[in-house]
Amino acid sequence: MELFVRGLSHRYGDLLVLDSIDLDVREGEILVVIGPSGCGKSTLLGILGGIVPHGGEAVRIAGEPPPGCLNPVSFVFQDFSLLPWRSVEDNVGLVLEHQRMPTGERRERVEDCLRRMGLLEFRKALPKQLSGGMRQRVGIARALATRPAILLLDEPLSALDAQTRDLLMEDFLDLWKRDRTTAVYVTHNLNEALRLADRVVVLTRRPGRIRDIVKVGLPREDRAGAAGQAFLAEVHDRLWELIKAEARIADREIVDA
Amino acid sequence: MNPRTRQFYGALGVGRRAVLALALGLGALSALPAPASAQGEKVTVAVLPLSSSAPIFIAHKRGYFSQEGLNAELRSFSAAQQVPVAVTSGDADFGITGLTAGFYNLAAKGTVKIVAAQSREEPGYQLSAYLATKAAYDAGFTTPAQFKGKRVATTTAGSTFHYMFGLLAEKYGFSTKDIQMVPLQDVPKMVAAFKGGQVEGMIAPVTVARQLEAEGSARILGWVGDVTPWQLGALFTSPETIRTRRATVEKFVRAYQRGAADYNNAFNVKDTTGQPGKGPGYDELLAIIAEATKQKPELVAVSLPFIDPQGRLLVDDVVRQTKFWQAEGQVDKALDPLSTVDLSFVNGHLLTQK
Amino acid sequence: MPDTTEAPRPMTRPAPQPAAQAPASASRPVRFRGGGFVAEPRRWAALLAFVIAIAAWEASGRLRLVSPLFLPPPSAILLALQGLVADGSLARNLAASLMRIGVGWTLGTAAGVLVGFAMGIWSIARAIGLPAVSALFPIPKIALLPLFILWLGIGEASKFATIGLGVFFPTVIATYSAVDGVPRNLIRMGQSFNMPWLDVLRKVVLPGAMPGILAGFRISASIALILVVSAEMIGADYGIGAFVLNAGNLMLTDQLLAGVLVLSLLGLAIGTALSLLEKTLLKWR
Ligand SMILES: Nc1ncnc2c1ncn2[C@@H]1O[C@H](COP(=O)(O)OP(=O)(O)OP(=O)(O)O)[C@@H](O)[C@H]1O
Ligand SMILES: [Mg+2]
Repeated sequence: MELFVRGLSHRYGDLLVLDSIDLDVREGEILVVIGPSGCGKSTLLGILGGIVPHGGEAVRIAGEPPPGCLNPVSFVFQDFSLLPWRSVEDNVGLVLEHQRMPTGERRERVEDCLRRMGLLEFRKALPKQLSGGMRQRVGIARALATRPAILLLDEPLSALDAQTRDLLMEDFLDLWKRDRTTAVYVTHNLNEALRLADRVVVLTRRPGRIRDIVKVGLPREDRAGAAGQAFLAEVHDRLWELIKAEARIADREIVDA
Repeated sequence: MNPRTRQFYGALGVGRRAVLALALGLGALSALPAPASAQGEKVTVAVLPLSSSAPIFIAHKRGYFSQEGLNAELRSFSAAQQVPVAVTSGDADFGITGLTAGFYNLAAKGTVKIVAAQSREEPGYQLSAYLATKAAYDAGFTTPAQFKGKRVATTTAGSTFHYMFGLLAEKYGFSTKDIQMVPLQDVPKMVAAFKGGQVEGMIAPVTVARQLEAEGSARILGWVGDVTPWQLGALFTSPETIRTRRATVEKFVRAYQRGAADYNNAFNVKDTTGQPGKGPGYDELLAIIAEATKQKPELVAVSLPFIDPQGRLLVDDVVRQTKFWQAEGQVDKALDPLSTVDLSFVNGHLLTQK
Repeated sequence: MPDTTEAPRPMTRPAPQPAAQAPASASRPVRFRGGGFVAEPRRWAALLAFVIAIAAWEASGRLRLVSPLFLPPPSAILLALQGLVADGSLARNLAASLMRIGVGWTLGTAAGVLVGFAMGIWSIARAIGLPAVSALFPIPKIALLPLFILWLGIGEASKFATIGLGVFFPTVIATYSAVDGVPRNLIRMGQSFNMPWLDVLRKVVLPGAMPGILAGFRISASIALILVVSAEMIGADYGIGAFVLNAGNLMLTDQLLAGVLVLSLLGLAIGTALSLLEKTLLKWR
């Protein structure tokens, strides 16, 4: 499925957060969104997923959901948002409970997702007994259980340490390759952006506008090698320049104010 | 000792009495103003701000205590039960209030002893009324004898109301068990239950009775003083005080008797037509009582109890009270009824007229 | 380690030293300087303090330092308690009070949880409820007893009302804050997966508010115990509260304290039961 954003502006009271955003999220791509803190990335994602109230029809969705899809647009949250009183399997099962489906099928689906995220042996564990990385695996498993057409990930790895982050990112990519689910991925981390993205949207400081959209014109499987690294270094520098410029202006604005 | 611990012990040093008085829920409301000449031996008197303690207020105001060489300080309490407790705890040397089972239990522990009479229910004096609700009256509940089998509001078991029903039952040949007494702790709740028709009758103080009658929710069936005269209240002290400060007790009782005599001269007089009249000092004494009870003089004037002019007790009734509470299981059977009184301070104690 | 690759030099090589040996005499062992400021269980301390306090209390009575009327010694209280057990009046009083506490608490708590939930969920309920609770909560229920008698009579209804109303407001406040405190992100999560409203309420808000609600139960249970004495001011023949009131009126201080002891034991039992409930319901914390 695809998302189309046309002339999206958003205010919290008097605060203009997003200003005239035009954006397409295309079938099967990973679109990474970066931008200075507070520029409205989470707000944008929330509006895309229908959990931030926004009057108007600036965001449209098109296409048919894949077979077995129970929730076309599913979230993976920065803070995992697991229910602490439910075990791993019940947290994943939660999003299926209100769907009309046979118990056996539901159990199978949960099990399948847990297996794919390497969580099977922790199925009975409570969130408090898991490490941060494991918790986010549960968060991803939960989103996958609904067989979404579009995944919205809001800084899914930023609460984790660097190593866990890299490992989970690779696992996510492996997983992604199977279904090639369309994804919008918000991050602050340029390495994540370069490793995952088909295109990188750079937002300006608040109010967020689209500063630039940078295409990473290299297949993901080629990015690990030395040639790929050299290519990515260029893209990295370009993104870095864009962000730095925005951050500088933002700093100056803070000093002026 | 560092300053902090000293402070701590200092706080404890407030004294066992104060701590215990607190523990027993005792609270002196206020100390009444001291008399003009604050000299002489200090005595503390625990009282309720009711006109039944008028002789104390009069003796205090007119300086009878100081003329006996006593510097009396009156401490006002809010509930009858607290007065003997104050004497027991040593917070007061004397106490004056209505007699309840609680009082006799303290007497059984040897902490209080009666030395003179306070008010009593006396024929012709309207102190406590037998009341029926309007509905019960209309259904035929018209005489005090018909309290048998009725449901009535009282404050607590062991209260003066309980005893008055006991006297009534004895007089009309039934038992207290034939009356269903509902304990409601205080008069406002009794009135609420009465007005709400939860009970058929009750015994109530004159002011309450008159008001309920005026409202039309009650009918007065008679007066306790006419049906069963009895010794409602007493002046008491501790046996310890009698033993160690006998002269003080004698002085105190003398001053009290002067107050009682003044009270009778002013209020207990009939004019030539037999109607209640005004004796010497009527207005002055009424003002004294009104001030001490914090009530309007007009209201005080219509609810003055009978108080023996010499503080003489109805000795047989005091004995009967002890025996009644013992029979009701409220007071220790080991208490000798005569040990609750010391008859040596007042001459010519009385017996109930049959 | 270069040592292992070099050829041994037997003559000059120093005798092997144990690893624990300090290198020079000027060194000192590092001392532990943390510790303290941590709550560690010391059951025996509480028990010992308790035993000493009871012993001192008993001794002060035996040695006539304090009049037994003022402060009956523990032995006298136990004797009074034994008398109550023996003549069956303890069971009768306890049954009457437990029934009143049970019914009053259940009614007040159920209503309180419902209202608290409504206030936590709906802005309108909150806008009406918050000022109403602030205005009504501080009213002393004892002052209302005459009104309760007029409205509900002197039977059990007015006693239930006294206890029920007493626990209602604290429960409303506890439930409301608990619901309000359920992390918004969890609710958003539920909604983002298309969970129906009632499911969000049942599966996210209710369990999320449970710790706060149970903490409220702890407070309201104590309040119910306090109020059973007030409730039994209204024409009660039996009940621990009525018994305590009566003993107070008759100045039977040993009986009074025996009744108070029963009340505190009751409080202890209820507290323990609630702890067990918390342990099972809130295992996830
Ligand atoms: N519910 C809200 N009400 C009012 N203001 C809000 C609300 N949510 C966010 N904001 C404000 O809107 C702006 C954008 O917030 P948003 O969370 O979308 O930024 P972000 O780009 O995700 O920031 P970060 O990188 O720190 O996650 C911020 O200034 C924030 O304070
Ligand atoms: Mg954000």
